[in-house]
Amino acid sequence: MKGASVGAPAARSLLPPRQREKLRLLTKSAKKIWNQFRKNRAGMVGLGILVIFFTIAIFAPWLATHEDPNSTSWAAINPIYAPPSLKFLFGTDYLGRDVYSLTLMGSRASLIVGVVASVISMVLGTLIGVFSGYYGKITDEILMRFTDFFLVIPWLPLMIVFVMLLGASFTNVIIVIGITSWPSTSRIVRAQVMSIKEHTFIERARCVGASDTRIVAKHILPNVFPLIFANTILLIANAIFSESFLAFFGLGDTQVISWGTMLERAYNSGAFTSFAWWYILAPGGCILILIMAFYLIGDALDEILNPKLRRR
Amino acid sequence: MARDFRSYIARRLFYTLITIFLILTFNFLLFRVMPGDPFRIMVPKGADELTREHYMDHYGLDEPLIVQYFIYLGQTLTGHLGVSISKFPGSNVEDILGPYLENTMILAGLGTVLSIFVGIFLGRETAWRRGKMADRIGSAFFLVFYCMPTFLFALVLLMMFAHYIPEWPIRGSYGDEYFDLDLAGKLWDRTIHTALPLFALVIETIATFSIITRSSLIDVLTEEYMVTAVAKGLRGRQVLREHAMPNAMLPVVTVVAMNVGWIVSGSIMIEIIFSYRGLGVLTWDAVMAQDYPLVQAIFMLETVAVLIANFFADLMLFRLDPRLKI
Repeated sequence: MKGASVGAPAARSLLPPRQREKLRLLTKSAKKIWNQFRKNRAGMVGLGILVIFFTIAIFAPWLATHEDPNSTSWAAINPIYAPPSLKFLFGTDYLGRDVYSLTLMGSRASLIVGVVASVISMVLGTLIGVFSGYYGKITDEILMRFTDFFLVIPWLPLMIVFVMLLGASFTNVIIVIGITSWPSTSRIVRAQVMSIKEHTFIERARCVGASDTRIVAKHILPNVFPLIFANTILLIANAIFSESFLAFFGLGDTQVISWGTMLERAYNSGAFTSFAWWYILAPGGCILILIMAFYLIGDALDEILNPKLRRR
Repeated sequence: MARDFRSYIARRLFYTLITIFLILTFNFLLFRVMPGDPFRIMVPKGADELTREHYMDHYGLDEPLIVQYFIYLGQTLTGHLGVSISKFPGSNVEDILGPYLENTMILAGLGTVLSIFVGIFLGRETAWRRGKMADRIGSAFFLVFYCMPTFLFALVLLMMFAHYIPEWPIRGSYGDEYFDLDLAGKLWDRTIHTALPLFALVIETIATFSIITRSSLIDVLTEEYMVTAVAKGLRGRQVLREHAMPNAMLPVVTVVAMNVGWIVSGSIMIEIIFSYRGLGVLTWDAVMAQDYPLVQAIFMLETVAVLIANFFADLMLFRLDPRLKI
């Protein structure tokens, strides 16, 4: 925090005054949210876990104790299904690979899928929500029927069908998760846009002659953004779950190490009959903890941004 | 009021029918238009000329898309869901589905009922003991199981039982000698085979329902009319039962309604892991065998089932919420 506040004023003075004012307001509202968030113990725990996981994902190759866990030559050197020990922190798998190193490398795929897929559905959901909420009437009616339609289709079979038709690759999995999980976002955004557009400052902007695009971009989106952000955090948890689910059922990219593909390997290579609990607990535990972290953060943000329900 | 209810049903029914129609359209387009070649999808691989002709006639594959669409609609509405191409080559899909559908309905039906009752009960008890030890432990459990992917919990359960209680049947929806058993034996066999998948299926929905019941009830319990109820001399439990619960139920019913679809999705995961012979396993087998007509039919069935469940949930919501009766 300290480092940032020393550098910030210098950078700020380079901007034209209007931009400078905007940046000030933005940091002010971000700071306000942060100050409330800091007091939320569960949210801070989630954030802490998340920071740890991202650090692990970034430094995975250096933290791994065994190089290139994906090479299959390990079977000749390492014991198969060895229980956790000092040499193999989380034991070894059916090929004698080090589960600890695999788990570290797997964090990358899971986080990438989670974040990218959620950004896709955030953009889709926001676009549809803004259009529908801002224009109302027939646009709203059509878009909301469309949203309800996707909301009602059970999304797991839908994802399975999409992946089957498109083919199971890393990018396809991301795209499919992205295009199947936007409906809840668009519902939330729509409701928020509808309430914001009734404010007088929107009317004022319109009287001055601002175009719809300008009103949406300059006045509505900034006001909806915090809520979209909180919703996206919850979407990431869902996307990470979806990835692990698809990968577990063989609908992921088998070349990519992710926690889902690890579980799939464990399930199909006899980790159960050998009672190799470490091979299931390591990726499974990571999925659970990561989802919980995102949930705790999302919940805390939700509490800050929608205070009306919880003040008591 | 009775008339209101009737017109409400009519309106909901109308919307539901429109959505079913949309789903049929979507289902048609998904499998016909998206990947390009309908032959690859609707006709078995390596079929000879005669079989190809037969399939082409059946789906009208040489007709324009719009004609194919009406053929599809007509066939679906008259109960012809297509012909399996690789899982059960040549069989009509509607003849295959029966036993699978029955097994899934047992699992998903029991799962829904069980999670509603247990979930609401646990949510009520923890809310009533808000801040106490039981509530803290309970809430921590709810959080963990709410975040736990269903298939992951099923995996752990499977491993534990396979290792510690090897006698327990962990695969299939009934044992090998099922058809030689008498009624009581059959029932017991079913129960013991369904118990684990059912437990794995409901644990997450129980957590979801508990969380929503608890938070909704806590909101209600801090309302001023609760103080009034206590002040006029009602005993604690009576306040809970007669004043708090009815008002807390609305968000619960909404969440329950939204989760019906989730139970369908969840049962797919559970069925595959426990080799429980239901629609989930069939979906899975069909996907693996690239049996597109079969997948298409199951997908349609699952979606329509969710839709119908949502319709009934809406009716229940209408009964519970007087504000909807305007």
